[in-house]
Amino acid sequence: MQSKGGTVFLYGDLGAGKTTLIKGIASAFGIAERDTGSASFVIVAEHETFPPFYHIDLYRIEREEDIEAMGIWEYIDSGGVTVVEWAERLSEIPENAIKIKINYIDENSREIFIEGIDETDWNNM
Amino acid sequence: MKILGIDTSCDDTSASVVLDGGKILSNIVSSQTEIHKKYGGIVPELASRRHIELIWHVADEALNKANITLDDLDAIAVCHGPGLIGSLLVGCNFAKAVAYARKIPLIAVNHLEGHIFSAILEDSKPSFPFISLIASGGHTSLYVVNGLGQYIELGKTRDDAAGEVYDKVAKMLGLGYPGGPVIDRLAKEGNPKAFDFPRAYVPESFDFSFSGLKTAVKIEIHKSEVRTRTPKSFGVRPSTHEVSALGQKPDPPQPPLDKGGIEGGAFSEPRTPNPELINDIAASFQASVVDVLVRKAEWVIIKKGIRQVALSGGVSANSELRRRMKEMAEDREVELFLPSIALCTDNAAMIAAAGHHHFMSGRIAGIDLNPKAYLPL
Repeated sequence: MQSKGGTVFLYGDLGAGKTTLIKGIASAFGIAERDTGSASFVIVAEHETFPPFYHIDLYRIEREEDIEAMGIWEYIDSGGVTVVEWAERLSEIPENAIKIKINYIDENSREIFIEGIDETDWNNM
Repeated sequence: MKILGIDTSCDDTSASVVLDGGKILSNIVSSQTEIHKKYGGIVPELASRRHIELIWHVADEALNKANITLDDLDAIAVCHGPGLIGSLLVGCNFAKAVAYARKIPLIAVNHLEGHIFSAILEDSKPSFPFISLIASGGHTSLYVVNGLGQYIELGKTRDDAAGEVYDKVAKMLGLGYPGGPVIDRLAKEGNPKAFDFPRAYVPESFDFSFSGLKTAVKIEIHKSEVRTRTPKSFGVRPSTHEVSALGQKPDPPQPPLDKGGIEGGAFSEPRTPNPELINDIAASFQASVVDVLVRKAEWVIIKKGIRQVALSGGVSANSELRRRMKEMAEDREVELFLPSIALCTDNAAMIAAAGHHHFMSGRIAGIDLNPKAYLPL
């Protein structure tokens, strides 16, 4: 689904379904669904796939300087595929980045916005 | 033989000297909770820096208390993951330096293996096989321990860890960090049946899932009509995003959930319900977590026919979990092993104990050891 160097920025409140979406993305890299959990605790869950898959969760980091210090941009630029949860915490997002926002509607429905993909280029999807 | 254990996997700096893998000569833990409290959670960069400041003092104290010096050490064991990478790096580099300078073996221990060993460090210890339930801020896993170094993972959380939902729910309720002790305390004043929160038993599996519960609690908080302002005294601060998006204006009345565009004010702290409601939510939430942990442990007992259960991880300090596990163990006539709180929570004695076993089976780490944030056992 994602080629080398791809990054997805995810937005959505607690319980919106971000982890569920990431389980789906990770499964495209051969990572079992049960092996993609919450990354809130470790902040970066690194999966040794090819290309490497980085699951970053900024939930517990509130200050911009702490986000810089944990090396988020190094992961993003390292040639792997990166999914960043709680992108709300970032004040700047690279241009042309893929942004996905999940809104909670009710217990069984969600509204999803996707931005930054050229819809005519299906290789992107 | 004497092993110095080091654990810096999260926010506690710990060093311990353990004799022959079973006798604790010292177990020093320096908690950073006070530092991270005001930020509503652990700030990784602050944690790493604090580990650097503390590691020598803590290791020195462990040696002093054990009445030995570096010369008396036979090996050094260090936790190399899973955990916060910056924090792990401090412990690993410290251990590598000591091993290199003193020419003693370096041993790498998985944090989860350490937790399994905490049960074996008490005077009353389980024999093999036993069931190990590890529940903490970073993990919720069930293992069958057939012998030292022989672990079968039966299940683990598919999303949030038990301690993690405690922290997240406490944050939603404006109760600050850490969430476990405060929810445990408030739950005693609340009605555990006030809300029928979901229990995810994940059929056909010993896996756990707590994210649905987290969502259900969130919905309940939003639904509750009796609301007060978010109390500032609890230290809940607006996120950087909220400030930039709203231009530091006071919080406008908010709809239950934001439906703006992609970057439109997506993150906001919900309003906090009144105290009685908080107690009821805390009690009902805790009942759900404890029900699932106890029932899963019970299923393993029934399905695997194993008669001994040991608990570890920070969540096993929870009074309701301890009470309910004891009840269940009596009903099922199985033996329950509840290590002391000092051994349940993160500590280096368990790392030294597991390190002793590695040493005896000849598993020595190279000086090129690198820690890993994500490290399955």
